[in-house]
Amino acid sequence: MKTRSIIGSVLAAVVIFQSCTKEETAVPQVTLIQSIVKDIPADTIVGLSPIGQPVGVGKFTFYSLETNAVIPNTDSNSTKWDIGLRGSTIITNGGTSGPGKGAAFIYVGTFDELTKVPADSTFRVDAAPNYAITAGSNKGWYLYTPQTNLVTPLPGRVLVFKTASGKYAKVEILNYYKGGVTPAATAPDNVKIFSQRYFTFKFAYQADGTTNFK
Amino acid sequence: MKFAIQFPNLKLFLTYLFSSVLFIYSKGQLKEDSLFSQSLDNVVVTATRTPRLMGNVAIPVSVINTKTLYQAGSLRLNDILAEQTGINIVDNFGKGVQVQGLSSEYTLILVDGEPLIGRTGGVLDLSRISVRNIRKIEIVKGPSSSLYGSEAMGGVINIITDGSGVNKSDFGLRYGSFNTIDGSFNFSRRVKKTDVTASVNYNRSAGYSLKPNQQQKTVEPFWKTVQQLSLNHQLSENWKLGSGFRRNVTYIDNTIEVSNQGIAVLSKGFERNDEYNITPYLQYKGNKVRTTLRGYITGFESEQLLSVKGSSNTYNDRFDQLFSRVENQTDWQIREQSAFTFGAGHIEESVASNRYDSLATKRKNSISYFFAQHEERLTRKLTAIGGFRFDANEAYASVWSPKMALQFKPDEKISINISYGRGFKAPDFRQLYLNFTNLAAGAYSVFGSEVAAAELQRLSALQQIDQVTGVMGGLTALRPEISGGLNLGARLKLKDGMQIGANLFRNDITNMIVTDIVAFKKNGGQIYSYFNLKSALTQGVELDLDKRISKTFTLKAGYQYLYTADKDVLAQIRKGEIFQRELTSGSSVRMKASDYAGLPLRSKHSANLKLSYETAKGFFATTRLFYRGRWGTFDQDGNGIINRSDEFAKGFLHVNASAGLSFRKHWKLMAGLDNLLNYKDILNLPGTPGRVGYIDIQFNF
Repeated sequence: MKTRSIIGSVLAAVVIFQSCTKEETAVPQVTLIQSIVKDIPADTIVGLSPIGQPVGVGKFTFYSLETNAVIPNTDSNSTKWDIGLRGSTIITNGGTSGPGKGAAFIYVGTFDELTKVPADSTFRVDAAPNYAITAGSNKGWYLYTPQTNLVTPLPGRVLVFKTASGKYAKVEILNYYKGGVTPAATAPDNVKIFSQRYFTFKFAYQADGTTNFK
Repeated sequence: MKFAIQFPNLKLFLTYLFSSVLFIYSKGQLKEDSLFSQSLDNVVVTATRTPRLMGNVAIPVSVINTKTLYQAGSLRLNDILAEQTGINIVDNFGKGVQVQGLSSEYTLILVDGEPLIGRTGGVLDLSRISVRNIRKIEIVKGPSSSLYGSEAMGGVINIITDGSGVNKSDFGLRYGSFNTIDGSFNFSRRVKKTDVTASVNYNRSAGYSLKPNQQQKTVEPFWKTVQQLSLNHQLSENWKLGSGFRRNVTYIDNTIEVSNQGIAVLSKGFERNDEYNITPYLQYKGNKVRTTLRGYITGFESEQLLSVKGSSNTYNDRFDQLFSRVENQTDWQIREQSAFTFGAGHIEESVASNRYDSLATKRKNSISYFFAQHEERLTRKLTAIGGFRFDANEAYASVWSPKMALQFKPDEKISINISYGRGFKAPDFRQLYLNFTNLAAGAYSVFGSEVAAAELQRLSALQQIDQVTGVMGGLTALRPEISGGLNLGARLKLKDGMQIGANLFRNDITNMIVTDIVAFKKNGGQIYSYFNLKSALTQGVELDLDKRISKTFTLKAGYQYLYTADKDVLAQIRKGEIFQRELTSGSSVRMKASDYAGLPLRSKHSANLKLSYETAKGFFATTRLFYRGRWGTFDQDGNGIINRSDEFAKGFLHVNASAGLSFRKHWKLMAGLDNLLNYKDILNLPGTPGRVGYIDIQFNF
């Protein structure tokens, strides 16, 4: 199982140097971190059950949006991680899932359009089996098409998270398959089965504790 | 809510019949009228259900004659239809036809005026129908439910086999790629006052593989036979009696490789489709009145048997459909300039299948209907037709289907037609009674609307239901799908034997039946049922050109531009509610209406060109090109619609060529090559094997 490392941490906040006036030069505070994370395995398929169901080992992959890194599974009971991924299930570090302040909701719109968490937003807290990010096809973040046996992230869905420490982040899941490429609808079933459960997502994390994503 | 009208009983129908017979007797003998005695070749019957000169029909209609069929080397109905303007063949559950952007389930296929049954997933496989014994094919575009009832939404394709009264017989034998053998014998004789037409066709092929290293062939070896007999007896000057008998068997040798959750399982077995029909009739033909009493009994039995290699598991699928109908049609030439047609009929339909419940449970439906049509030549230049049909169904709501058409012919060279009609498609047995659970792919189930509530209750009692969705409340009796179709056409005869035609069309379909999720199972599987939810539109223009270049060369060309859309999707896009995912970045953006490519499997552009050369001595050569632009296949970016460039199959160009000659009076020899460019698309065109050749000999006597 090859896991590609995190690629491309990009500083999105543009550093603007104020012109030389008599005032003191403000030190620009870069608090918004944007990144694209590729190929995070999320309980990938290790084999087939006796009745032919594809199965993984059943463990979550934890990710810290704050440090932009995968957190070892042994730290599951800590506030080191912000989101957990297992198959199509996404959890937050809060409620029944973890000790942190995690919560989430799904915003309908594009990633760029969401410049600030709307004031009237309601964050949901994990209460297994009802997670803040609703599980199930066409109910939460993805669409499963039985005819093609493919899972596709719904376009126009931004997952807005409160991290374990109570900061704000927005995530757009871009792809669910290895290499960030959804197999063709006509690809063989075993290709689809064994290349699934690899997350590619884009996120922005606001370190200053505000709800701004600008 | 069911809406049943009490017309569906045989008693009323018989009363109707009796009165129409009385009516005929009261008319007595009148002088011979040209209306009923047209010569056959330039006469069409499908558009108005009465014989009319081709140029005098206010509805878009085209004809493919025996010569065209022969010269194109066509064996099956899909071969020849693929070369026609505005018709696409879609390879899905067999070769289905697409007319004016409407799919196979909305196109009625008739053989000698009687509907063919036996559809899979709504698709009537055209490769079931041999075109070796037929006289012509008439294609009517736009809704014609006013005359034909259900399924006549996109159009009607009528295959006319009848060769009555022509003393002509032939033997034909063909050999082609993939060990394809086609043998046919057609016989037609008039013996005293009886016309006998008989034909037999046998077709087989070894099939082919497009994907190497697979045990399962793309097209499995098959054989098909058609046997047909028609008897027509002139009882007296005015009365005629007859019947047709037809049987069509298809046998496919199946080896199926099923990948069940990644494990390839090989199954062997067969698929057999057996279709028969009997068409007795009694006709009275006077000078001004003609009335026909027809019976039609047809059955379609389909069986699929597969046994899994190395296990005792067998898969058996059976589908038995029976359709019988009795109908009367009366044509009355009231005056020289006005003709009236009316009729009524009763249909009994039943299906037994283990896809539904069990073979022991017969699902039934009965339909009674009546129709009327009036044609009036208002002035020398203007003709109007108006008609309607009413179908009262037992299993779903009743339907009115009106139709109006106008033809304006300012002179011999120009004709302008406008027609509007409503079409409908009755919910089929699958949509009403299907009971299917797929354990392999996501454990989803599909239940027909009539059985869904009971099945949900059953699963709920077993504690298998996790959650019921909002659409559950809408789980009501299905209504027929309805379309309104407008056609505006013009035809111009120019100098030097050149003709051009154009037809603008627009079809608005409402009440479209689609599947939607009614509940989720605890194991994660979804439960689907059928709903009248969608509305769609198809519109476009069809252009054709016919030109005689010289005494020996003729040119035909056609083009269709097609725009289709799901109306609800279109409205959502306009409100900015639909997103798409960019191909390279993967980011979501709001969609524009111009990004929407409409309904899947539709090509925006399609065109054809045919060049033929023919000498008086019986030598001919043809080159036929047809182009089909790219078409949407599957959604890849999660919005469920076709919009992104990777969601299309590539467009293609096919070039077919044939040549032949007649010799020694009785013999005809021809050879041909299809798909000269050897175009293949394994995924999207499994029915296109690449370049194929054939040689064909015919003996006429």
